[in-house]
Amino acid sequence: MSLSSASSSLLRVCARQQLPTTSRAAVASCQQRRGVSEASKSSSFQSPFGSSEEYSSTLKIPNFSKYSSKKSPRSNQVFSYFMAGSLGLASAVGAKATVQDFLVNMSASADVLAQAKVEIGLAAIPEGKNVIIKWRGKPVFIRHRTADEIKEAEDFDWKGLRDPQPDQDRVQKAEWLVMLGVCTHLGCVPIGEAGDYGGWFCPCHGSHYDISGRIRKGPAPLNLEVPQYSFPDEDSLVIG
Amino acid sequence: MAGTIASAIYQGLIRRNAVYLTSIFAGAFAFELAFDTGSNKVWDAINRGRQWKDIKHQYMVKEEEDDE
Repeated sequence: MSLSSASSSLLRVCARQQLPTTSRAAVASCQQRRGVSEASKSSSFQSPFGSSEEYSSTLKIPNFSKYSSKKSPRSNQVFSYFMAGSLGLASAVGAKATVQDFLVNMSASADVLAQAKVEIGLAAIPEGKNVIIKWRGKPVFIRHRTADEIKEAEDFDWKGLRDPQPDQDRVQKAEWLVMLGVCTHLGCVPIGEAGDYGGWFCPCHGSHYDISGRIRKGPAPLNLEVPQYSFPDEDSLVIG
Repeated sequence: MAGTIASAIYQGLIRRNAVYLTSIFAGAFAFELAFDTGSNKVWDAINRGRQWKDIKHQYMVKEEEDDE
């Protein structure tokens, strides 16, 4: 109490004195007064850091041994590193799960994947017949070609076509021609076994495709597209 | 005893940062596997008898009989 009142009155005096005199002189006088007042005061308060009056007590250090660890420094260090490593582990797992969830969300769902492939039994398709099936919302033409048609498709001089492509690039087995039934012009569905070349004919704008599905006449720029397909065994075909 | 274990861990895993990081990622992998397996087990235990894999045999047997 005595200290606080003494210092506050001292401050007040200092502040008043600063007004008339120059600042340097005021500070000097304040310091002088302060030293005098501190020397004269007698307080029961004991600072844990000692006071300037007793020289030996300036080195007085509070006792922190109550807070110090009883374990070895190495085990404390290992504990800190373990906690930091556990945080890293947990965040690595969390980051991986987050990224994976986003990627799985973007990939195709099970119902889409189930529709992505279509299996067809080939034994039901007689030679010289077309079959149209639906695959991914698009028609797919499957033609069981006769030997004459295969010969015609293979012997034709394809180099002069608008979209030059040999017949063996368009079929895996020569007797089975598998194509997307979408006209490459504007997306109509061509009619089978029609047109000037015995293949397909698009009624919308008059594109003629031959028995290999190549564009021969009309506005279409490209041959009929061949999807990915495979023959798992002799009598079945999987598209997709 | 505790000091020797701590110093062994320190010397083995923490001293080299590359080893420390590698062990963290390996631990993350193992933890993820264990966590996923464990949580799936808990889920299956809570929903025992209600999932398709629990009741599948009742229906699949019938279907086979129909086929025959």
